[in-house]
Amino acid sequence: MEDRPPNEDELVARAKRGEPAAYGEIVRRHQSIAFRTAWVITRNAADAEEAAQDAFVKAHAALGRFREGAPFRPWLLAIVSNEARNRLKSAGRRERLALRVAEERRPGGAVPSPEAALLDSEQRDELLAALEELSDTDRETIACRYFLELSEEETAAALGCPRGTVKSRTSRALERLRARLEPADA
Amino acid sequence: MRDLEQTLTQIGRELEWPETPDLSASVLARLEVLPPEGSAAGAEPEPPGTEAAPPARRPSRRRRLPGLLPPRGLRRALVLALVSLLVLSGAVFAAVPSVRDAVLEFIGLQGATVERREDLPPPPPIEPLELGTRTTLEATPERLAFDPLVPEDPGDPDGVYVSDRAAGGELSLTYRPSESLPRARTTGLGLLVTEIRGDLMPDFFQKLAPEGAVIEELTVGGEPAAWIEGAEHFFFYRAPNGEVVEDELRLAQNVLLMQRGPMLIRLEGAFDRDRALEIAASLR
Repeated sequence: MEDRPPNEDELVARAKRGEPAAYGEIVRRHQSIAFRTAWVITRNAADAEEAAQDAFVKAHAALGRFREGAPFRPWLLAIVSNEARNRLKSAGRRERLALRVAEERRPGGAVPSPEAALLDSEQRDELLAALEELSDTDRETIACRYFLELSEEETAAALGCPRGTVKSRTSRALERLRARLEPADA
Repeated sequence: MRDLEQTLTQIGRELEWPETPDLSASVLARLEVLPPEGSAAGAEPEPPGTEAAPPARRPSRRRRLPGLLPPRGLRRALVLALVSLLVLSGAVFAAVPSVRDAVLEFIGLQGATVERREDLPPPPPIEPLELGTRTTLEATPERLAFDPLVPEDPGDPDGVYVSDRAAGGELSLTYRPSESLPRARTTGLGLLVTEIRGDLMPDFFQKLAPEGAVIEELTVGGEPAAWIEGAEHFFFYRAPNGEVVEDELRLAQNVLLMQRGPMLIRLEGAFDRDRALEIAASLR
């Protein structure tokens, strides 16, 4: 038999039966998106870590009610975002979302991708600064859709809004971001 | 706009994210390797029946509680906090240990749990309902992560309220008492309909029913439901972080709890089960 990694449905089924290793694998597969989503909301790495960890614990407790065959990630992200928002509320502070482009992440000497080549660092800084000026909702919407590359369903779960609202929120957030960029372009 | 979207995606791929911590070890350590709810070893999930389920003990279901609630120390603190509240409000919560331990029956729905307890404390005083902000049905979509359902029987509500204490919002529809909807002692209303996104809020509603209460597991529209009747029961909210929302502890009368897709719907009143099922069948 071919040794293939278990798919998500199998892992969830095994975790429901109480196999810790299966749930550990689920956590490993989703911890990055869970942590980053929490960070976008809390804007603090320590809070994001705690929120993501709490979310995984609560998701495990609620696994019995997870609908078989449903996508796991939106369900998890809804729990993550709840935890992150609670933590943000109880922290009583607002940090700025410290978005920076990792210049050094590009392999040394490698030719940048055609898209990247079009974006000089000044443009990136300008865009990130404009993003920082947007409302929390606009910034989170853009971060979910474009930075985290979440689907509409996942974004709706992370933002706690109907799926249909994601489209309109995204469109409005982009309009407002463009409006902030335009005066500089003119 | 397309260029801006592409630019944002490109920037996202080059962002310097904080390093993701390895959460698997810490999560597994916290789980105490307890199986999650519904994972009764070797047992098949029980199909919800249309007949009243016998009040069988479900020790396997009972085991899920430690995983769902905060750690034991914190749970004890929460229970004690609840005790303090009741003492302050004039009630005496004399039977706390047995309240916590003696679960005779447990029903878990998406967004709610119902527990029949061997012993319950004296009831808290009846307080005015806290349903959130008054609004209109037309204005609710902006504040709710679901499409509200309204029962055609009895029709348009007398009051519409929205609260944000549940993820995705909580909708309450109120109906004045009428011939077909007698006044409930606990709410002063003929009917109170509450709707939340149950899939986002495990155990949002929690009910503790006394031994004399009837708790029936039902199927409504092909989905799980529970009917609680015969004795007023405790009803409280649980915040997303698992904490008891203490100031929301109140008594509830007859209640039909039902899942409808991702939603959990709660009908409360002094009506009987058949009347509740009629109202449920008219939800559109």
